[in-house]
Amino acid sequence: MSKLSLENVTYRYSVGTPFCKTALDGVSVSFEENRVIGLIGHTGCGKSTLVQMLNGLLKPTEGRVFLDGKDIWENPKEISAVRYRVGLVFQYPEYQLFEETVRQDIAFGPTNMGLPQEEIDRRVEEAALFVGLEKETFDQSPFELSGGQKRRVAIAGVIAMGPEVLILDEPAAGLDPMGREEILGGVRSFQKEKKSTVIIVSHSMEDMASYADELVVMDHGKVARTGSCRDIFSDRDSLLGYGLDVPQITRFLIELNALGVPVRTDLFTVEDVRKELLRLYPSLAKGGKR
Amino acid sequence: MNNDPFIKIENLNFAYGSGDEMSRPILKNINLTVEKGSFVAVLGHNGSGKSTLAKLLNMIESPVSGKITIAGMDITDPEMTEEMMIEIRRKIGMVFQDPDDQLVATIVEEDVAFGPENLGIEPKEIRRRVDEALKTVGMEQYATHAPHQLSGGQKQRIAIAGIIAMMPECIIFDESTAMLDPTGRKDVMDTILRLNKEHGITVMTITHNMEEAVYADRVIVINEGEIVLDGTPKEVFGNVEKLHSFGLDVPQVTELFYELNLSKCRLPSDVLTEKEGADVIARMVL
Repeated sequence: MSKLSLENVTYRYSVGTPFCKTALDGVSVSFEENRVIGLIGHTGCGKSTLVQMLNGLLKPTEGRVFLDGKDIWENPKEISAVRYRVGLVFQYPEYQLFEETVRQDIAFGPTNMGLPQEEIDRRVEEAALFVGLEKETFDQSPFELSGGQKRRVAIAGVIAMGPEVLILDEPAAGLDPMGREEILGGVRSFQKEKKSTVIIVSHSMEDMASYADELVVMDHGKVARTGSCRDIFSDRDSLLGYGLDVPQITRFLIELNALGVPVRTDLFTVEDVRKELLRLYPSLAKGGKR
Repeated sequence: MNNDPFIKIENLNFAYGSGDEMSRPILKNINLTVEKGSFVAVLGHNGSGKSTLAKLLNMIESPVSGKITIAGMDITDPEMTEEMMIEIRRKIGMVFQDPDDQLVATIVEEDVAFGPENLGIEPKEIRRRVDEALKTVGMEQYATHAPHQLSGGQKQRIAIAGIIAMMPECIIFDESTAMLDPTGRKDVMDTILRLNKEHGITVMTITHNMEEAVYADRVIVINEGEIVLDGTPKEVFGNVEKLHSFGLDVPQVTELFYELNLSKCRLPSDVLTEKEGADVIARMVL
């Protein structure tokens, strides 16, 4: 069922000034439960504004936001409860660390929620495990850690609050390939274990092909398309029109197809393409028919 | 490209702190020559020391030992005058990852003009350079906008325009495309290539995007503070296992060919682009 949804949401920045700008324009979209949803779109398309709508950080200029079917702005005084239920990890969250130790930093959210100490400890350890933080780091200052580790601390801090919906704005930006895999893989296993709803904003089509179940494509303040990776990545022309593209491996299939090799072009990961090529052309494994 | 060294690094060592408080070494005995007009990509996992290298080149940090020469000037000379420092900063521009750290003015075109204004260039020439630079990054229609209202990727292109307007001989891009969408990344990459090929600007990009490194003349891989691979993209990306062991990836097509070779195929290991890869497979199966 629909966990979170927007109904006709419009958001304008700087209303009443000459700089008034419509960031979201009549957006209706629904995020279903128990899956990883990728939110993609060119820079400036409104992705970051949209995610701030989802946990009540921004209030729609028009339209409504529903969490479990309930309008989150029905009683504005209760909006902080929504923020516990919908956790948002900003871009470059490592700049927001401030506590003396890693443990304290991850515990900050759950402590504010007034949980008993035992429960806080349990959650801190569980969250650290998901993001692959070693226990040895717990008593270190977060500022002594590498950039990639700091980011894990920040993400663990939100996971420790036990959100029903976890939203991450570009969680892997600026990380090396191994760091990307560890963080996105950790988020994926968090989703599977908790059966929660995870929304990832990303510019990496390759990462989305590997980690997202569904995609929401945004373009100029509107939701342009929604569907599975297959639905979305099968239509390269539309994606190019939105300032996006398909993964490199899919572009390879499209090239191959254009050269007259009858391969399907709706595969998006290296592993799937490898299997497909070997299935179609077992002779490749013997050095081809040269 | 000619053979004059623009950057010459000799026996460079770096660690943070000093004396007993010194951290573990960040860069160990680096020797590197970058030719004028070349395009070098530097790869390495987070914490490998590659960003520190860029900061040393721009004199944001100074080495523990070793020598760096830029355009014939020794930038590690403790006797260096302020004029020399300004001269070197003018020759080497740097674009960082987060544009919010780099924008200073309230209007886009004023931001782009900031650098050349500080260099004391005459207003008419500044106007020309600002227009040209904004056009180069495809942001001319935003000349009178406020930078804080632009998206991250748009801001980054403004930051790049600000550097271009100073007409440096070399630009170092420190993960400058990490925050951009595929089109934005392509626009910036095209811009970088044009600056290198048409304007002869020496380019060093520090990146995690392997597909970007493919465009470079030369790829250098840094691991644990040392240069471990140095060659053309084809030479470097052929070492798939080594790169994996350094926590790095290769372009997806290179990875595919590597995996197929593990399944007893006999494909070239140095295919980098989708086009090259498609040609190879088509020749074999058609």
